[in-house]
Amino acid sequence: MTQQITLSGIEKHYGGYHALKGINLDIPKGQFVALVGPSGCGKSTLLRTIAGLETISGGRIEIAGRDVTAVPPRGRDIAMVFQSYALYPHLTVEGNMTYALRLKGLSKAEAKARAAEIAEITGLSALLQRYPRELSGGQRQRVAMGRAIVRDPAAFLFDEPLSNLDAALRVHMRAEIRKLHNRLGATSVYVTHDQIEAMTMADHVVVMRAGVVEQQGAPLELYDRPANQFVAGFIGSPAMNFVPGRVGEDEQSVALDLAGSPVLRFAGRRPSGEAVTVGLRPEHLELGGAGGNSLTLPVALVERTGSASYIVSDTDLMIAATERVADGLGQVTVHIASERVHLFHPTTGVALR
Amino acid sequence: MLAKNLWTRWVLLAVALVMVGFYLFPVYWMYITALKTNTETFQNPPTFWPHDPQFRFAEVWVKYGLDSYIKNSAIIAAGTVALVVILGTGCAYALARVRSVWMDLVLFTVLMMQVLPSSLMITPIFVAYNQVGMMDWPRTGVVLAQAAKVLPLYIVLVRAAFTQIPKELEEAALVDGNSRMGAFLFIAVPLARNGIMVTAILIFMQSLGEYVYARSLITDRALQPATVGLQFLTGPNASDWSGIMTYSAIYVTPILILFVALQRKIVSGLTSGALK
Amino acid sequence: MLRFDRVFRDGGGFDTLLVMLALGYLVVFSAFPLIYNVVMSFQEVDLFSLASFDRPFVGWDNYSEVMGERVFTPIFWNTVQFVGLSVFFQLTIGFGLALFFQQDFPGATWLRGLFLAGWILPGLVVGAVWGWILAGDFGVLNYVLQSLGLIEGKIFWLSDPSVSLYSGIIANIWLGIPFNMILLSVGLAAIPADVYEAAELDGASRLHRFLTITLPLMRAQLGAVISLGVIFTLQQFDLFAALTRGGPSNASNVLQYWAWQLSFEEYRIGQGSVVSVLMILFVVIVAFVYVRSTRNEHAG
Ligand SMILES: Nc1ncnc2c1ncn2[C@@H]1O[C@H](COP(=O)(O)OP(=O)(O)OP(=O)(O)O)[C@@H](O)[C@H]1O
Ligand SMILES: [Mg+2]
Repeated sequence: MTQQITLSGIEKHYGGYHALKGINLDIPKGQFVALVGPSGCGKSTLLRTIAGLETISGGRIEIAGRDVTAVPPRGRDIAMVFQSYALYPHLTVEGNMTYALRLKGLSKAEAKARAAEIAEITGLSALLQRYPRELSGGQRQRVAMGRAIVRDPAAFLFDEPLSNLDAALRVHMRAEIRKLHNRLGATSVYVTHDQIEAMTMADHVVVMRAGVVEQQGAPLELYDRPANQFVAGFIGSPAMNFVPGRVGEDEQSVALDLAGSPVLRFAGRRPSGEAVTVGLRPEHLELGGAGGNSLTLPVALVERTGSASYIVSDTDLMIAATERVADGLGQVTVHIASERVHLFHPTTGVALR
Repeated sequence: MLAKNLWTRWVLLAVALVMVGFYLFPVYWMYITALKTNTETFQNPPTFWPHDPQFRFAEVWVKYGLDSYIKNSAIIAAGTVALVVILGTGCAYALARVRSVWMDLVLFTVLMMQVLPSSLMITPIFVAYNQVGMMDWPRTGVVLAQAAKVLPLYIVLVRAAFTQIPKELEEAALVDGNSRMGAFLFIAVPLARNGIMVTAILIFMQSLGEYVYARSLITDRALQPATVGLQFLTGPNASDWSGIMTYSAIYVTPILILFVALQRKIVSGLTSGALK
Repeated sequence: MLRFDRVFRDGGGFDTLLVMLALGYLVVFSAFPLIYNVVMSFQEVDLFSLASFDRPFVGWDNYSEVMGERVFTPIFWNTVQFVGLSVFFQLTIGFGLALFFQQDFPGATWLRGLFLAGWILPGLVVGAVWGWILAGDFGVLNYVLQSLGLIEGKIFWLSDPSVSLYSGIIANIWLGIPFNMILLSVGLAAIPADVYEAAELDGASRLHRFLTITLPLMRAQLGAVISLGVIFTLQQFDLFAALTRGGPSNASNVLQYWAWQLSFEEYRIGQGSVVSVLMILFVVIVAFVYVRSTRNEHAG
């Protein structure tokens, strides 16, 4: 597969602040990559680096096989969708969409024809003569998309494009964007702090923290085999439970640091007596079920969303159950398969397998 | 409670009208005197409304040679505005966009330049002009000096307009294929055009009233602006007050009309930039 | 060459270029005259050596000559009076008006804006109009004051040496009120209404609220407005040109007008420069304090 975007050893300093610390990333042509991480981890900075809006302090950027490290934004052939959309308020929707094309040297007629074509795809045909201030939030979002698509760029860059929309529209646009991506066969880099967006939309997810890539891979791989406690806690909702524990003498089970020291078997072997952090996903703690590992927990609180019930134990462990739970439960017994028990190093957080 | 409130609001309005009227009395007096005959001007007690309104505008226009004065005022003001807009817009933009110690220093310098009084700067300018032969183009000389005088104010006010424009808009333009210059000219400037225009008009009005430089640098009567012409008529020994007020009225009426039309924008422009 | 193009079209060089354009202009037409002023204050400059580049340096002679001038002291005190009284009345009247127009009534903002008409008028026209209002024999002010029984005989505002300075002060106060009022209005508007409401609930009277809330919260703003008032008052020249021309016999003269007279009426350019240098020094100090104070406020 040919690489569409290659980042090698990207460094970025803001004065004394080290915002990006040696980022390496290969993005094949046609892939949808999501950059996720907590606020301030450097996602936007990395994206703007690719766009050329930030100069980098070290490293190398290639787009479509060309070294663009020293090339200004206009020479990089990329399109960007901003969180605020950044629509030109003094231009109509059509003006917004044809702006880049005219700069590329297309004639007015050509540019308009192309804009009309893309407006058709994005459902903007009826809005072409309006100004941004005359559009709803969702429509503005579409214009921002249309303005990017019309360019037919080497790559699309998105910086939290859906965060200004309401929840329902966000879910809808999520699917729309992904469909458009498939249809255009484009290469996209998508920044979000919402791991659900990342998991549902992307082919490849990059989890960042404090300027470094913690792990990257296919969404389900990150879910199933997190490289460390940070990724394990970040991917998945509700977040994974973490409990301290100690490996037993059989080297295949761990005693949890909870009342009654319950023992869980895990896949693989660890040296006996090793202190670990045990990770248990709420949705993997199944009510009922039988055999294997079982765990009995006192109930402190039950939250119901209709489709799920969240049971919170007195030690703040969370259980996500799909069945309805009666009130007044004193305690519950849950089961978890041994291959779903995650172990992490108690100080470094590295996954232990 | 509400009724009383309503009532106080109207009383306040009435008081406000009285205060505005009191304050603007000099302007009223100028217009009224302009309409009086010369004899009525010197009547005692003075009349607060002309008995026999005279429209002496055409007569005064010819008598005092206002065509040449007004033309020169307009040339000087227009030249100043053109120069200031060309020089200042980019600087205001850069000062709004870039955050650095250097830019802070530049802004500080610009703010300091704003306070230099013309009457004190004119001496060195006059001598330097004499030395380089600039006195042969006195109106240009006045434009150049006046531009330096008002450039800082223009920069400060237009900078405030540029800071209102989100940075992302220009970044979008860069990604869309523009150079910095293109993003500045085709995105930032059109979006700040209101602020630029109001400030330019303000500068124009200020420069229409420029006196010190014109008085000191222009000796040829045919090149002098209306302020200098007016100054010849005033002073402790002035007598044709009706004519002087007519002259003043002709001169300031366009300014006042422009001001009332743009009042709101001028006030908000001034208040946004002046203290920041 | 390619590098040059890149830095200026796409890099930070573009901003630098734009700033340099304006800054360069200001250096030539403001900073250079400023320095040249200082140089000339140490030179012998008159009508004949005006265009020459080779003028004798005379050390502090110009300074001692200006200081030794008989009119220097009265003109200096005139300036102090002019600035002090102008700023005081501009500020108090402007503040009063700002407080009044802060109240909620129909057309408040628009009416307040009308005051700026006074500020927008050319100083020379304002001077001419006030000259007519203040005229001794037929001036309307004398008439009004007499009919109100406030004065006995006519006051010759422009030609009586004991009052001629006040003609300039009155006109200058009129000119300065709008600016003071608008700037103070901005400050008043920035005080959140709930602060007043809380104080009212606490039982503070109107006067109490003014003293304990408005004044302390307006301190920075008042400081800024006073500095600006001093700066603008020291720039005032046109009113003197239109009203009294410093006369009679310097009774209403102020330093900024005198500096000009020395250079352009007596052609004692070296001495004119001395007065300019002293004044500019003072203005720059005031401006420095002002700019520093507003900038600190923004950082904080
Ligand atoms: N111009 C700048 N100057 C100094 N520091 C900056 C600048 N821009 C960003 N930073 C810092 O770099 C870090 C990364 O910022 P970035 O905007 O990339 O975060 P992010 O991951 O996009 O966060 P969010 O999810 O909140 O948007 C932050 O700590 C931020 O404070
Ligand atoms: Mg961000």
